[in-house]
Amino acid sequence: MKNISKSIDKVDAHEKIAGETAYISDIKREDMVYAMTLRSPVASGTIRNITLPTLPEGYAAVGPEDIPGRNLVTMIYEDWPVFPEKRVNYIGEPLMLLLGPDKERLASLLDAVEVDIEEDTPVLDYSHSGVHLHYEKGDSDKAFADADRIIEETYTTGYQEQAYIEPQGFVGYIEDETYTVIGSIQCPYYVHEAVKVTLDETDENVRVLQAPVGGAFGGKEEFPSVMATQLAVALKKIKRPIKMIYEREEDMVSTTKRHPSKTTIRAAVKDGRITGMTSHIGIDGGAYIGLSEVVLSRGMLAATNAYTIEHLDVDGDVYLTNTVPNGAFRGFGAPQMIYAIEMFMHHAAKELGEDPFSFRKAHMVKQGDWTSTGGKFRDPILLDEMIEKAADISDYHKKRKAYEDENVYKGIGMSWFFHGCGFTGSGEQHIIKSRVEVEKDAQDTVYIHVAAVDMGQGPKTTLRKIVADVLDLPIERVIFDYPDTHRVPDSGPTVASRTAMIVGGLLARAAKTLKETWREGEAQKVEKRYQQPDYVEWDGECMKGDAYPAYSWGVNVVEVEVDKHTYEIDVKDVYSVYDLGKAIDERIVLGQADGGQAQGVAYGYLEVMSRENGRLKQTNMTDYIIPTAMDMPKTDNHLIDNPYPYGPYGAKGGGELTLVGGAPAVAQAIEQAVGRRVRDIPATPEYLMELIHNG
Amino acid sequence: MNKIPESLNEALQYLKEGTYDVLAGGTDIMLKNRGYAEAPVPFKKNMLYIFNLDELRYIATHDEHIAIGAVTSYASMLRHPDVPDILKRSIRQIAGPALRHVATLAGNIGNASPSADGVLVLYLLDARIILASADGEREVPIEDVITGPGKHTIRPEEMIKEIRLPRRTFSNTFFKKVGARKADAISKTSLAGAARLHDNVVEELRIAIGAVNVTVVRDRSIEASFKGLTLEDLKARVDEVAAAYDSLIRPIDDQRSNARYRKQVSFNLIEAFIRQL
Ligand SMILES: Cc1cc2nc3c(=O)[nH]c(=O)nc-3n(C[C@H](O)[C@H](O)[C@H](O)COP(=O)(O)OP(=O)(O)OC[C@H]3O[C@@H](n4cnc5c(N)ncnc54)[C@H](O)[C@@H]3O)c2cc1C
Repeated sequence: MKNISKSIDKVDAHEKIAGETAYISDIKREDMVYAMTLRSPVASGTIRNITLPTLPEGYAAVGPEDIPGRNLVTMIYEDWPVFPEKRVNYIGEPLMLLLGPDKERLASLLDAVEVDIEEDTPVLDYSHSGVHLHYEKGDSDKAFADADRIIEETYTTGYQEQAYIEPQGFVGYIEDETYTVIGSIQCPYYVHEAVKVTLDETDENVRVLQAPVGGAFGGKEEFPSVMATQLAVALKKIKRPIKMIYEREEDMVSTTKRHPSKTTIRAAVKDGRITGMTSHIGIDGGAYIGLSEVVLSRGMLAATNAYTIEHLDVDGDVYLTNTVPNGAFRGFGAPQMIYAIEMFMHHAAKELGEDPFSFRKAHMVKQGDWTSTGGKFRDPILLDEMIEKAADISDYHKKRKAYEDENVYKGIGMSWFFHGCGFTGSGEQHIIKSRVEVEKDAQDTVYIHVAAVDMGQGPKTTLRKIVADVLDLPIERVIFDYPDTHRVPDSGPTVASRTAMIVGGLLARAAKTLKETWREGEAQKVEKRYQQPDYVEWDGECMKGDAYPAYSWGVNVVEVEVDKHTYEIDVKDVYSVYDLGKAIDERIVLGQADGGQAQGVAYGYLEVMSRENGRLKQTNMTDYIIPTAMDMPKTDNHLIDNPYPYGPYGAKGGGELTLVGGAPAVAQAIEQAVGRRVRDIPATPEYLMELIHNG
Repeated sequence: MNKIPESLNEALQYLKEGTYDVLAGGTDIMLKNRGYAEAPVPFKKNMLYIFNLDELRYIATHDEHIAIGAVTSYASMLRHPDVPDILKRSIRQIAGPALRHVATLAGNIGNASPSADGVLVLYLLDARIILASADGEREVPIEDVITGPGKHTIRPEEMIKEIRLPRRTFSNTFFKKVGARKADAISKTSLAGAARLHDNVVEELRIAIGAVNVTVVRDRSIEASFKGLTLEDLKARVDEVAAAYDSLIRPIDDQRSNARYRKQVSFNLIEAFIRQL
């Protein structure tokens, strides 16, 4: 048998490198106008009046009164208005659109709008819980009562901006009486549903097309629905093609980011082992809940990461603040929690005077263990082998010892972690209900019909590879066009590390059926629907059972040197080992590893976004610092096969896994280099200075 | 109207009208005039595009100084053997490779930012700036050209023609830029130092500090007060050196860092410079 992991050139690599790909900003329509957004200048207030200047011929304004359907954007939790009617809840909140053919003219009209808002005091702290979740396992009260020692620590994490290369954008037009929007999006059907409801139209009268996406990282999961509904309302009113592309600063101040968080972990220790744990994670949801509840739940489900703790009590809150709503970002709540628990295990060992590495290993999960929610780790867990490999290639143990010397400003840190693949709980079964089609025409050319989006992570290549391999066809004979809701079924959103495993799995099954029933020279079509593996049992209400059908695993080792004069952090080396079942294409996965680690490590020490009185301070790419090629060292990454029986060729999820362990690994390394405990990230030079000078 | 002159003379004639801004590499000025995608650049003033004036693209070595023409790119300065090493060290940390092909040292002066990395070294090296107008030329020390953030004494009818770096040898130089990352970063603080020692005695000590005041900090009287000390004495008095700069190091809190950090690091860098002598 051929090895599916053997890399091929990405199918869109050439056109992207050659600059031929037409992204959303390259698309133009005849008679097109531009849309610009009027935004709230205040964090909290009540609109008294908005006075428009006289609009010239060909210019229009669109606001809440123009919405034909419901003034709430359809998403998992619905509290986000298309345009607010009375209350404004954050700086930058879109109040209305101005439309017209000339951008400079639009900009000066926008300046001339008088916005009269009665301002009140914004909520900016963790005081207003909008969602509270809780779950427990065993009897933590008893564990604490019996403990001979209790250890507690609190951790905070900051914002993170997705910093996709291409800002958010859409072009909309009416064609054959169909409201058509094409955009830089992750989830064509989310946008479809939201536009349909806002316009009060039928399924057929709304069509959503995906343009090539220049990066997303979760930022184009739910936010595009907000933008598309506004554009659609305008489209219905003015009936002319509209282009709406955010400028970078506008994008940064008004789109979703990773939730800042605060996590407190308490452990009951008996005979040198943690027997029970209570955790509370609070995330800053911003002004609307949106996806925050699901982000919170994924965070809470990672409360014990890759450790087995018998007695557990986990609480979480989404706090509402008068700031830009936070939302999906690669990792989805897990990076915050995994950071906290990895640091906690490390610090707990120090408190107990034990060697952190051995202490953590002694608590590590094994196949057959109960998960934090009382589900089961059914499949083989290869962490032992992976950790050994990571330690080996990085020379971890020797360096760890050598860097203990106080005069050496070097450090090495190791994290190990999991990531649940696919939607949480029975989300795939009950919410997503993924459908795929594989079709062939009379010339025996095969077409993949799914709504999965390639945003750089490679499904245009990997999904074709799967179908071509099953059918034993050259990849050129398998076509996968950009999704169009008029032509492809809803295979679900491109999120949650689900595309290769779930959508790829369904496609493999569809291709297999097609192969078995193949009739040469005849048009044929096969459809497959998602079926949850029988073993998955999940009680969403109590958060009990199997939160995920499968888990991917990883180990990160990061080495740093800290400058003793400037406290600057130099990331020297990154080593990793990953188990994501089976790579459908090795180079694509290693590409995900390089990118995910850069994003994850930088989350731990580099990327700063802060706010003052509800206003973000870093709002462009000069001030919001992401790593350059100079900042990230050459990485040494390894994959290890551990095929998952329900995934195509054994594949599990890989998109998010490579990000979630970066922060604790780099934070531990920094901690060793400066000889002080790191609790808050990003651990910037400014923070290290305070730690060093004030303990 | 924007203009693209073909000679320095033609450029100076336009400048005489007093309504033009010079555009060299454009890496600062394009950002200041940023507009919208798919719309023309909304220049706030008339632009005089000088980057193709080959007569200003040169590096010439003279007995007393090195002369750098105003449109010489950073990249070509890095390739020239006579450009002082400490200036090269600074240039290597300005922006990234692509920008260094078009950005100029004259533009770094014209932009007059207290965190400019090229300007920092010009202060250290006692650079002199040749300002040309249709009426003639004048030579001005760098610290008389820049007066505050974005402020300078170049008259509307003048432009920088040349930068002169006196040729000096030092026993020891020091350069440290502290940015948030290793490329494409604006300095949070920066320090350039140079010293000349003779028989273990400090003959000359120079220190320039960036991003901690409205202009680069360089104080000749502080420098002079440590002249004549033996190296051991100087090192023993390192705290005094730092303390002497205390009132000049008045950084701010902003979106890139904070005042406490900038101040502490400036002190640390003064100390690091002295200790490595
Ligand atoms: C991504 C990025 C990274 C950067 N990184 C750094 C960095 O690390 N360190 C740093 O110091 N700077 C940095 N800069 C700023 C900028 O690149 C430098 O200041 C550069 O030296 C400007 O040169 P220029 O030729 O592009 O100037 P321009 O933009 O052409 O001009 C800048 C100013 O100088 C004036 N000017 C230019 N030439 C003359 C002249 N001959 N006579 C009179 N006035 C003149 C212009 O009118 C304008 O006011 C960065 C900029 C960007 C966009």
